[in-house]
Amino acid sequence: MRNLPAALERGRPVTIDFEGQSIATFEGEPVAVALFATGTRVLGRSPKYHRPRGLFCLDGHCGSCLLRVDGRPNVRSCMVPAREGLRCERQNAFPDAELDLLQAADWLFPKGMDHHRLMTGSRLGNELFVKLVRQMGGSGTLPDRPPSETPVVRNESVDVCVVGAGPAGLAAATAVAEARPGMRVVLIDEQDHTGGSLLAEPGGVELASARAAAAVRAGVRLWSCATAIAFYPEDGQDSVVADGPPGLLAVVTAQGLVRLAARRFLYATGSYDQNLPFPDNDRPGIISARACGRLVFRWGIRPAPRVIVVGDGTADTAFLARLYAGLDERGIAVQTVTLDQAQSGVGARGAVIAVATRPAPASELLRQHGAELRLDVAKGGFAPPVGPTFESTVAGVFAVGDVTGFRGTEIAYSDGRLAGVALAATL
Amino acid sequence: MSKKIILCRCEDVTAEDVERAARTGFSDLEEIKRYTGFGTGPCQGKECLRGIAAAVARLTGKSESEIRPFTSRPPLVPTEIKFFAGTPRR
Repeated sequence: MRNLPAALERGRPVTIDFEGQSIATFEGEPVAVALFATGTRVLGRSPKYHRPRGLFCLDGHCGSCLLRVDGRPNVRSCMVPAREGLRCERQNAFPDAELDLLQAADWLFPKGMDHHRLMTGSRLGNELFVKLVRQMGGSGTLPDRPPSETPVVRNESVDVCVVGAGPAGLAAATAVAEARPGMRVVLIDEQDHTGGSLLAEPGGVELASARAAAAVRAGVRLWSCATAIAFYPEDGQDSVVADGPPGLLAVVTAQGLVRLAARRFLYATGSYDQNLPFPDNDRPGIISARACGRLVFRWGIRPAPRVIVVGDGTADTAFLARLYAGLDERGIAVQTVTLDQAQSGVGARGAVIAVATRPAPASELLRQHGAELRLDVAKGGFAPPVGPTFESTVAGVFAVGDVTGFRGTEIAYSDGRLAGVALAATL
Repeated sequence: MSKKIILCRCEDVTAEDVERAARTGFSDLEEIKRYTGFGTGPCQGKECLRGIAAAVARLTGKSESEIRPFTSRPPLVPTEIKFFAGTPRR
């Protein structure tokens, strides 16, 4: 299945341990990708009905590919680069995830389990039932051992913090650094490669590398593998940052936790892949259209000879055109199915199903700042209203790209430059 | 697997669960989150919030401007507790 060229040269061959089985992969390839490429679709079981789960977004967002990795539970396996001897196990299953006897819960409750009305008449019966459910439910079990060391915590203050190194964030950070040389501009991204949604497109890795190099040349400090996990508006009174919004951004990096204060925050956090509502839409092998692009163009995996695309007509047509052309070029057949057709079931034997719909704005950090969000389903979900200056309803907090409602990679890039210039004008 | 339309994959919340919550009288995303558990799993609503908000608009007849998101709580992604334990005290 790994018979396509990867966007970057593959790492050295390594072997990971998957429930006692040796899986050949390459150093740096995400565990979820390595398992998919060697035919493993089921990565665990869901906490309630014990339905099989597999990778969906391949971007660290959906929570569907969690594994126990090196004795630590609930690790997103799409975010873990493979290395020699890495130990991976599936969760929430007995005796194993392929044949999970606990999936009886799914069959016993074909209409769903309404836990508000499941109580029996007897008090003792209720207590026993709650005990049983607590044993069966939940995700994962405790780690093998406590962490060997406490992470280093440090404070840092910068002039401008841009979150998300996709097309919008790369353009915005570069524009700020060019307009205000000498200012401290950091660009934070959770992935090990810049580019965001560009990584789902043919040629996206090269384009992102060139843009990241331009950002660094302009003076941007790029933090990869750094995750902004929360904004705490009530914290950081001790950090002195002139005219910045009060509060701290908590950023998890390989070195520890950074409590980041900034004069301006710019959120270019992009968008999350969404699923569509059709029967058994959670089956392993049903992945997002962008995940399909990431597998093929970034990692060089042929997911199946045939990809069935289920769409509701709201996905980015420019992206789909590039995806289909890229698949066609690699000899992968594409068949499109409407959401209405998918209601009566999709025959997917030997195929992978890719879900194509509008992604949802990744707007939580703006919400945590206290910025106003408005629901606009046509734009993808809850997005902050921003005017021509790209400033949200909170002073000093800006947003650009898909987080403001779906834009696509090209408009995100051009808007990113405009937002960077507008932000720089306030410094 | 029995046929189910899953809206929140982390917590196994089905389209039927959301309909039941709306029939029971809940019309606010914060209430429906507490009633069904949607958005409380490892993804914290990244994959389900929009879909459930759209379903709630359809089921309750509310306009989009009347539907508010539920409170977003840290952390945004599964994070080991050691990172919080490491925070210096003052």
